Order: sequence, then C-alpha cells, then structure tokens
Amino acid sequence: MASVYTPAVQALIDELGRLPGVGPKSAQRIAFHLVKLPEVDALRLADAISDAKAKVRFCEVCFNVSDEVRCEICSDDRRETNVICVVEEPRDIVAVERTREYRGRYHVLQGAINPIEGIGPDQLRVKELLDRLRDHSVTEVILCTNPNIEGEATAMYLARLLEPAGITVTRIASGLPVGGDLEYADEVTLGRALEGRRSVDVS
Amino acid sequence: MAVLRRLSLRDFRNYIELDISLEPGRIVISGNNGQGKSNMLEAVAYLGSLGSFRGAPPEALIRAGQPSAVIRADVVSGDRELLIEAELVRGRPNRIQINKQKLGRARDLLGIMPVTVFGPDDLELIKGGPGVRRRYLDDLLVQLHPRNDKVRTDVDKILKQRNALLRSAGGRATPDVDATLNVWNAKLAEAGEALGRARQALVTALQPRVNAAYAALAGEGHPVSLVYEPDWLGLGLFSELERVRSDELRRGTTLVGPHRDELEVGLAQMPARTHASQGEQRTLSLALRIAGHHEVGDVVGTSPVLLLDDVFSELDQGRATSLLSLLEADQTMVTTAAGSPPVDGPIQHLVVEAGSVASRNTR
Ligand SMILES: [Zn+2]
Repeated sequence: MASVYTPAVQALIDELGRLPGVGPKSAQRIAFHLVKLPEVDALRLADAISDAKAKVRFCEVCFNVSDEVRCEICSDDRRETNVICVVEEPRDIVAVERTREYRGRYHVLQGAINPIEGIGPDQLRVKELLDRLRDHSVTEVILCTNPNIEGEATAMYLARLLEPAGITVTRIASGLPVGGDLEYADEVTLGRALEGRRSVDVS
Repeated sequence: MAVLRRLSLRDFRNYIELDISLEPGRIVISGNNGQGKSNMLEAVAYLGSLGSFRGAPPEALIRAGQPSAVIRADVVSGDRELLIEAELVRGRPNRIQINKQKLGRARDLLGIMPVTVFGPDDLELIKGGPGVRRRYLDDLLVQLHPRNDKVRTDVDKILKQRNALLRSAGGRATPDVDATLNVWNAKLAEAGEALGRARQALVTALQPRVNAAYAALAGEGHPVSLVYEPDWLGLGLFSELERVRSDELRRGTTLVGPHRDELEVGLAQMPARTHASQGEQRTLSLALRIAGHHEVGDVVGTSPVLLLDDVFSELDQGRATSLLSLLEADQTMVTTAAGSPPVDGPIQHLVVEAGSVASRNTR
C-alpha cells in the first residue's frame, strides 16, 4: 500500500512504531503531535535521546545501564561474587535492590524469550552469562525473571542450560503477583520471594 | 442468593442513560426488535463474565461516538451487598470497582455474581463446530472456579508463543529451536493437562444433569451422552508433542492439545450434531445450559442470575413452561418480542423502547 503521508512523516511514524508498546495508531498520533510541537520542544526531545545514547551505555559485565564501562554494582568490592541474580531488564535490578535482601551481582538478559516478538535465546545476553560462569567462581544463579508466561519460559530454558554445568540454579518463590512484572511487586513481597527461592525442577 | 437490586448504564450500546430498580423473582423485558432488550441482558452478563455473551468485542459495547461506557449494579451476592462498577474505555483495559475499591485485576470480578445465559444462538452448542462446545465448558469452568480463567488464558498465551516459534522456524529444527521448543512443550503440557483434566471432571459432573434435564424437557427417555476423551490426555501431552514435532515444524502450528478437543454430544447412541432432529437439537442445547446452571449453583452455593434472551420464540408453550419450572434462580430476566409474555405472573414487567425503559410491577 502506498503511503498517504510525506516521506518524512512516514519515516517518523515507522520509527515510533518500532518502540515497545507503541502500535500503529499511537505511532501516528505521536508523530503528528511531534510535528505540531514548537521547534525548541521537539529538538529538546531529540537532544535528550542523543544525549542518553551518547552518555549511557551498558555495563560490559552485567549489561545494566551504566555511565562507566563497569556499573556501580559490578565495581563494588563489598558485593558477593559467588551469586548472580538474572533479571530481564535494568529496571528489575532497581526492584531487587529496594528489598535490601540481596548482596550479590546481577546479569541483565535485556528481554525474555518471546517468539511473537522474534526474541529467542540468541537475542538475549545468554552467551555472556555462560562466559561469566566459566571460571567456576559463581556457585549459585538466581532466576529472577518476571512471573509471566515469557519469564517462566526463560527461567526454564536457563535452568536446563545451567544445571548440567553443576551450578545451583534457584527460582524466586511464588507469591509474587502472577502474570505481572517484577517492578510492580512491593519490596516486602519481593524480599520474601528472594528469601524463599527454591531449586528449579528441570524435568 | 444473587440478585440485582438496581442497574445503571451510561453509553452502553444504545443506552445513553438508564437507571432502574429491579425486583427479585421473574422480570419480563418486552419491546420491539432493536430497542435494547438484549443489550440490557448483555450488560448484566458482562458483570458476571467480563465479556459479551454475543461474542462482541469490547469496543462494540460502547455507544457509537462515545469514548467509554459504564455499567453499574447494586447486587446482593450471598450475604454481601455490593456495588459493582465496570467502565469500558476504547482502546484500554476495562476498569472494575467493587464498593468503590478498584480491583487490581479485572478478573477478580469473576465469580462475584454468577450468571447463566440462554441465548438465541444456543442451537450452535449442538450444530456448531467443536470450538463452541469447548467455550461452553471453559466458560463454566471459570464460573465454577475463577482461577480457571488463568489456566485458560495461560494455554492461549503459550499456544500463541509456540505457534510463533513454529512458524518462524521455517520448517528447520536448529538446536536453538529445539531447546526453546522443549521449554514451550513443557509449559503447554503443564497448562494444557490442567485444563483437560478440569474439562473432564466437569463433563463427568454434567452428564447426569444433562440427562435429567433432557428427559424433563422432552418428556421421553432418549439417553444423552457426553464424551470428552482426548487421546493426548491419556497419553500425556508432552510425549504427544514430541511425537508430532516434525509435522508441527512443517505445518508451522500446534497440532495436539486442548485447543483441538471435541465434546461429543450423543442422543440415543448417535451423534446429535448429524443425527438429531432440529427440535431434539434445540432441547439438547437447553439441557446443556440447564445442567451448567445447576452445577454452578451447587458448587458455588449461589444460584446464578438467569438471563434468557429471546429463547421462547422458538419454543411451544409447554416447553417454555417446563423450562422455567426446571430453572431455579433468585432472579430471572427474560426478553421477549412485543406481545404477551409467556411467563405466568411476572413480578416485574419492563417495556423497552429506543433505549429507555418503563417499569410496571404486577405483584
Ligand atoms: Zn554491571
């Protein structure tokens, strides 16, 4: 179907439509909103994006967002190095940190297995996780993916991958709001879920 | 008991504003076609099931040109008095409040006010495809135990993900596809078997009820049989999925599981879909609904609110009377085309005209 918009507007709609949670209708609405904005406001948004892109990067170890090559948690010597908590997104680290129950390190997958969105293990930071486990200094991996279908599938995939390597793999306990996101769990509930973590059944 | 004391609507279907008191017992809703009789039942049923019994998408329930619709009801459910409010907003999830407290998840409303709906298309329960009968069972499962709603939606979500994986594999099983597929197989086996076993237990409970209801309605004793015995449930879904893996990769879709099951309805040892007369099929479909109504009433301990939408036009006076006598409920709402109501001594008579309602008590 030929585009009914000018190429510039269509390109903007296409780019916005690629953002998570933005459907074609919203992309259209946002695009026309942006086009109508005074130039200073529109450019401020563009600057914020390029600024963030230039200054924020991902920690080379755990893939948390970071200003430096290594994030604050990975550079903190007081944190235990024998436990890794695997989460889907950097915002999940914030949720776990709020509980003050956890003193180990993290690994951010940058997503969950989701075939509908074309995300398989290859699109996630799985190989990098395996690399971190190679020197056997890590004895436990806690799977802290979201308690929804995609998070559970990702946890099961990782458990099956890691258990043969002789690492203790645990999953946060149930009791979290089912189907929701980790970031919406309050710190007391999430703290209990961490404390009550159990070995994963990989059968 | 489950009784609506009051119903208010705003911008629901053709209703701009409606605010009406309702009586326990029988309520007859009459009026010409297209005035809003069924829409009123659809609103009540929405509070019981969070969906349209006519299968309409949520947007279709909002009055044309309006951003949102509101259904509000004062309900006595068990020994509780509740104000249930549902707001349907275009393009957004619905918002549900009970006694002005917003529910975190809309599905926590399920089971609060059970409803049984008899619709004009119920003949499809017998004549239609297997999907109609699966939906009949699954809707009942949710009414019986609201947690079944999660089992059902989990199965749907896993199937969507699994089918997407099978499609994207393009017929080739790389080690990566194989490992991921193993995970989805385990997930589908777990959720699918939970759903299959729940359906099986329900069918066993429904069987004698359907037989009794059919005999009472038809006045004769042809035995009705309900058979739900999917092969995969006996053999184990995980191993069945393993067995068909190469076929599934080739066809790009899930070939075994609860989404392909059939509930076979037989009359006098013959499949009712192909061998029963139209009259027998209609009576069978009523018997299925009656059986569900009684099962929910017994298990939940509250007889569901009964909603009969244009059911009597297809029934003779005798069957209409015996249908009503079979159906115990604290409140029954019946729509009927203009003319004399087929029900004896209705306590409340509502006349619907162009989205407004006049009430007349004939106590
Ligand atoms: Zn780091």
